[in-house]
Parts: sequence; C-alpha cells; structure tokens
Amino acid sequence: MRLWRPRANDVDEEIATHISIATADRIARGTSPEEARPAALREFGNPLLVGETTRRMWAGEWLEHILQDIRYAWRQMRRSPAFTLTVIAILALGLGATLAMFTVVENVLLQVLPYRDAHHLVTIYEFGRRGDQPRVPWLDIQQWRSSSRSFESIGFYRAANGRSFLEGDSGAQQVSHQLVSTNLFHVLGISPALGSGVTSTPEGFANTGDEQTVILSDSVWRDYFGARQDVIGRTVKISGKPYTVVGVMPRGFALPLPATSLEIWTPVALQPEDDDRIGQTPFYSVIARLNTTATLSSAQAEIKTLQPQVAAQYTDQYRRDLVTSAGINDYAGSLVKPEVLHTLLALFAASALLWIIACVNVAALLLARGTVRQREIAVRGALGAGRLRIVQQLLLEGLMLSFGGSLLGLGVAFGLLSLFAHGLSMELNLHHATPGWRSIAVLLALTLFSALVSALWPALSSARTSIEPALRQGAPQSGVSRAQRCTRSLLVVTQISLALVLLVSCGLLLRTIYILRHVPLGFRTDNILVGSMAIPSYRFADQDLNTTLYAPLLQRIRAVPGVEAANLMTEVPLGHHFNMVFSFSAEGNSADAVRRRDIRAQFRAVNSDAQRVLGFTMLRGRYFNQDDTAGSQAVVVVNREFVKQYSQSHDPDKVMGQSLMGFAKDRRAIVVGILDDTRQISITEQPVPEIQVYFPQLTPTSGTYQAAGGVAMSLALRTSRNPSSIVPELRAIMTHASPELANTEFTTMTQIFEDS
Amino acid sequence: MARKSGYKNRIELVQGTLDMLILQTLQWGPQHGYGIVQALHTHSGEILQVETGSLYPALHRLERQGWVRSQWRLTESNQRARFYQITAAGKKQLASDHDRWQQVVGAIAAIMQTKP
Repeated sequence: MRLWRPRANDVDEEIATHISIATADRIARGTSPEEARPAALREFGNPLLVGETTRRMWAGEWLEHILQDIRYAWRQMRRSPAFTLTVIAILALGLGATLAMFTVVENVLLQVLPYRDAHHLVTIYEFGRRGDQPRVPWLDIQQWRSSSRSFESIGFYRAANGRSFLEGDSGAQQVSHQLVSTNLFHVLGISPALGSGVTSTPEGFANTGDEQTVILSDSVWRDYFGARQDVIGRTVKISGKPYTVVGVMPRGFALPLPATSLEIWTPVALQPEDDDRIGQTPFYSVIARLNTTATLSSAQAEIKTLQPQVAAQYTDQYRRDLVTSAGINDYAGSLVKPEVLHTLLALFAASALLWIIACVNVAALLLARGTVRQREIAVRGALGAGRLRIVQQLLLEGLMLSFGGSLLGLGVAFGLLSLFAHGLSMELNLHHATPGWRSIAVLLALTLFSALVSALWPALSSARTSIEPALRQGAPQSGVSRAQRCTRSLLVVTQISLALVLLVSCGLLLRTIYILRHVPLGFRTDNILVGSMAIPSYRFADQDLNTTLYAPLLQRIRAVPGVEAANLMTEVPLGHHFNMVFSFSAEGNSADAVRRRDIRAQFRAVNSDAQRVLGFTMLRGRYFNQDDTAGSQAVVVVNREFVKQYSQSHDPDKVMGQSLMGFAKDRRAIVVGILDDTRQISITEQPVPEIQVYFPQLTPTSGTYQAAGGVAMSLALRTSRNPSSIVPELRAIMTHASPELANTEFTTMTQIFEDS
Repeated sequence: MARKSGYKNRIELVQGTLDMLILQTLQWGPQHGYGIVQALHTHSGEILQVETGSLYPALHRLERQGWVRSQWRLTESNQRARFYQITAAGKKQLASDHDRWQQVVGAIAAIMQTKP
C-alpha cells in the first residue's frame, strides 16, 4: 500500500527534520541544549496531528486509514474467535435465508419474459357464473379483434390434443406441442433464430394453408437435430404425420410459460367446429399486445363493454351465462397464481424478519462488546482519535463481520436452495435456482445494511461515551451510561417480540403441515410404485389399445416377481401430470338440467385392480370386475361428493342405477358403485366429484375412448419388493411394448404424497 | 475535522494568502519547512507566525498541484532536509495571486480611505 502514495510517506521524517533544525537553531542562538529540544517541540505542536493533516493532502490517505482499520479489525476478530464466529453464524443464518427466499422470489416474480416489451402483453379471459374461463372459442376472439381498439394484435394458442411424439435423429420423443395462431410470434415480438417461421397472411391471424409446418424450440433443435443448420426445410414426423421445419426459435424462448424445454409449435388449423360455440368447439388461450395508447385499465373497460355483445351470440343459455363478462390480465402477472404469490411473500417476510432478528442480536452482542472495550476506545480518543474515526473503525469492524456473514450466508443460501430443490421444482416449476446478479446485489445491500444496522448504534454509543470517566475507572465493565442501559433494554424487548412473532408463525406453519399429513386420503400410499407413461397412441391408430397394448403390458408386469397387483389408470390421485375434467352435456335449460350441468367431475379411466392397488373404499354397490367387458352393460362408479352434488342430498340410492353418460350411441352407462371420497388433486384441496369408467369397456369407436384413451396412463402397482430393484425390469417390459415408453418416469406413491 | 480550528494562524490570514506567501518565500530560493517559517516570521517584521499545522499541509498541497517540487538535500549544517522549490507553474500562480492580492488591497484601501 506504499506504492500509490510514495510522497506522503516521509512526512514523519520531514517533521523530525523540522524539529531537529529548530533545536539546532535554538542552540546556535544560545539556548542550552537541554531546553532547546522541548522548546522546539512545544513550538511545533502535535507532530502526529500535523503528520495526519499533511498526509490527508495526498489522495489515498483515507484508504490508508481504512486499511489500518481493517488490519486492526482483523486483529480484533482473531483475538476473540468465539465472538466473531457467533456473530458471523448469526448473520449468515439471517442473510442466507433471506437470500434464498429472494432468489425464489426473483425467479418466480421478477422473471423477465422472453418476449419483446412484455409489459404490453395481456391475456384476455371470460368469466360468468362458474368463475373464470381462461380459454375461449375462436369466434369470441374474432369478435374482440374486429371490435376492440385497445389492441395492436391478438394471438391465440392451445395445446395439441393428446401427446405428441417427435421423431428426431435419435428416436421418437414426447414433446410439448402447441397449436398457435400464425401471428402469435409476431404478437410476442419474437422471430425465429433460424428459418423464416410460419407464413402469415396479410391479416396474420390464422388459417394459412400450410398447417403442416413446424417451428422447433432451441432445445429440441439441439437435442434431436444436433443443432444442424440444414434442419430448415427438412420433413420431420410428429406422431407419425409429416411436417416441414420452417423455424427454430431463439434460446430461452418458451410458450406457454412457465417453460418446458422440449417444445414445438405448429399453426392452428381452424376446423368447422371453430365456427361454433357449443360442446365440441376448441378453446384457446389468448395473448394480446396493447396499443401504445391503451392502458391495462382502459383495455379492461373496453372489453367489459364489448363482452355483452359477444355473450349475446351464444345460443345456449347455459353457456351464455358462463361468459357474461370478460377481463384482462397483465400477462406476466397472470403467470403467478395468487396463492403462490401470497405464500412467497409471506415466506419472504418471514425470512426478512429472521434477518432483522439476526441484526438485532448482533447489535446487542456488539453493544455488549462495546462496553467491554470502552477503555480501549477511551484511550484511542485520548490519543487524539476523532469521534468520526472511532465510529469509522467500529463500523468497519461491523462491516467485516457482516462480510464474513454474507460469505457464509451465500453458502447457506445455496444449501437451502438445493435442500428444497425438489419442492421448488414441484411447486413453482423452478429448476436449478441459483442466486442471480440481482440476488447478489441484494446480498451486498443487505450486508452493508446489516453492518449499518448492527454496528452503527453500538459504534455511536461507544464514541459518545465521555473519555474521562472511562479512563478513570479501573474496571472496564463499569461506567455504563443510562442511555446505553436504555438502548440495551430496547434491544432485548425488540428481540423477544420479534422472536415471538417468528415462533408463533412457525408454530402455525407446523400445525398446518401436521394437519395436512394426517388428512384422510381415501387411498393407500404404502408400497405403491407409479410409472407415468406417455402413450404413443399414434402407433396404435387403428387398433384397440386395450387388447394390443394395455392387456399384454399388464399381463407381463403381473408376472414380475414381487408384483402383487398392477393397474393402469389415466392418473393416480395427486399425480399432477394429467387432469381430465368431465362436464355433463345433457340437453335442456331447465333449472335441474342446468344445475346438473354445473357439476364438474374428475374423470378417471381405470384398467383393473385399481381398488386392490390403491385400496379405494366402496360405500355402496360394487367396483369394476372381470365380467365388465366391451359387450356387457356399460357401468361407471362415482364418489360420495358426486352423489352430494348431483342429487343435492347424501342419498346414494338416488344415484345408483342412474344413467349419467353414454359411451357411444345407444350405449348408456349406469352407476353401479359409490366410492368413499379421496383427495384427488392435492392434500390441501377438498375432494371433488369423481366419475370412473372401466377401460376394457371402452371400444375405439366410443367418444370416451377417443378422449381418454392413449393420452396418459399411469401404471400403479403394489409390490413387496424394494421399488428401485423392480424399476429396470419394468422399464424393459415397457420398452419392449413400445420404444417411446422407455422414458417412463417411475416414482412411489409415498413420494407423490410428500410432494403434494 | 473539528480539531483543525486549533491550528489557525495567530493573525487570521486572508483566505488563500498562505499559499501566496509560501510561493513568494520560495522565489528567493529553495527552502525547507523550518526555513519558510523563519523567513515569513522575519520578513513580516516578526508579526506572522505560521503554524506547522497549516504550513505542511499547504506545502504538500502546493506540491500536489505542481506549483512547487521537493527534494531531499543537505543543509549548510549537513542536516538532511526536504527542500521546496518553486516551479514555472508556481511562478505563474504567484503572479496571478499577487495581481489578485493587489486588487483586493487596492479595493479595501479605496473603501477605507473614503470619508463619510
């Protein structure tokens, strides 16, 4: 540190020279040598202070002070390692928790959408008597488009029916396949990184005539086509059908959000059904770009006044009631569910509270130490150190402790994030969250702030202590001023109250977790292995999946040693991969018919053995058995909640034997059994109505088969063996049945329950 | 910097005049700190006693501005000391300080001589 200020350095020597010349001068003028030097010294003044003020003329002097203070602080820290480590650990805890939470908040709430001017993007939704309808028919979009003035452009998209498999260089892979309006990428303001994209009509809306074109996401391009430039123009097969690749989107682009990595987009081909607003009409998600003149609220007002005209077009009274109003959401904001937002903010507040408690704790510790060091500080003051200098010194010590704390806190944050990585990816679709630059900036700010908060008060109070009594008194601990006592009491009170708040909130949280863990699920979770399969139904297009895929597969799986029972069902409870909701389509506008149409039921197609594997409880009637075949009377099983809503009483007999739905023309299914309620969606949500059908009864010609078959299937099996030892055998059987099934994910029911 | 007030000159110097006085002293040849104090004391008719607390910061400030330069040399009595020497820039500065000083003196004098 002597390098950058060589000039300021020999001030001391210069001062010594001055004094010795002055002494010599006095002697030469006749003063005695004994008196000359003291006189010269007297005349000179305070050499230390002169040196200091002189050196201050040179830039870098303050740096020298800080370095001095840092060296001193370092010595202080090393002298009392227990104290230092305690303070650092406390701060690390507070900072680490806050940083980890901020990282989550940053990733979820502050994410920058990969679109141009994303703050101008909105979603439009309809709502009516049954709540929000986020997806709307094409006709409504068309009407908004022609009548509204708030939007620069409106685009729409929906997921392709069923599962899509893309045949790349390395076999077929399941991909997320969205059908998009041809102008949608334009609405988002993103063009392909490679290729021209889909051709858009001058209108740029939909129906271009080249529906057999596909745009790939960057990950698909890299993973399946080796990032080759010549992929443009190539014909690839999606679920067996040929498509021409016309574009590759830039890295980081995703639609819909939150992102899945393997995505492909093809243009929507509008069907005759799109010109209607009845049961079979496809529903789309809408993304619109606001005009430069429009604001969220002005567009909101406009769409509200427009919507009655749209609703008037509905011929079906029931459906009209569902779309009586419309609203607009900021697109980025609509991606975070309100309950997630509230939970996140609550957790963030809790971690901030933890940080404040940590700071208060550290402040109390520093204050106590300040009292112990009063003598030392008084001596420094007596030697000429200004108060500012003493405060600077103590603040620097606080800052160093704080930096130590934040270094350790960074580790704590990484630890916490990896500890909860599984939960984060389940709940928030957040993978590999690491503190980004914003989080690091926040950490730095917190560090500085921690140092200020925790060290400023003790520093000021130490510096304010009058020097004289502290020096005069023998015992270093005595001489606590009234103000200091007051300060300390205040700190203790703050600390205890903050800790109480945290304790109570923790207690409440634990209680909630306890209650959730002991909620009756309505099914068993022990010893159940679950395989989530994506069915490549296009391979079995003209065949009955029951006989060509499911039955042989189940037969092989049941033969595996250790498998006690095995079942295929559209989705295990709490599964979250695939959700099918059944709405009644009964005709009629009578009050009773409308009420019955308001029932939305979880739809589950099961194969066999479902009751043996999951242990559903029958309340009334029977479950499916081997005698239910494609030729026998069609039957369904419902749950207790269904009975409650359907009959508005708890009388199961009113529902038993009822015909609720038809599997095909002239094939009505009747209710033969009533199940006890189960938790279907998550352990926190109340049971919803459920209707189960038996897969072997469905033939490829039935509408139910077409909707439910060959989309997703979960294998659930009860095993007496260690699940991990059985997985390779199962995987081999799956792969043998169809190569696409090689990627089936296996987990245990217990794990699914934990995640829920 | 509360303590700085303790190191004022005994006769309050007009702001900025210390620099001018030092530069003027150095016009007569290179000098060390003690020598400058003595020279100012003598030439002011023993009225001005510059405090070291003002002198040394001023010298170092002047040097940083390039108006003086310094060098360790031996005094006549074979003592190693830092000698300050005025530079060309310093001479220019002195000239302009001097002009300004004379204007101020003239102006003050004009006011003081005006009879009510």
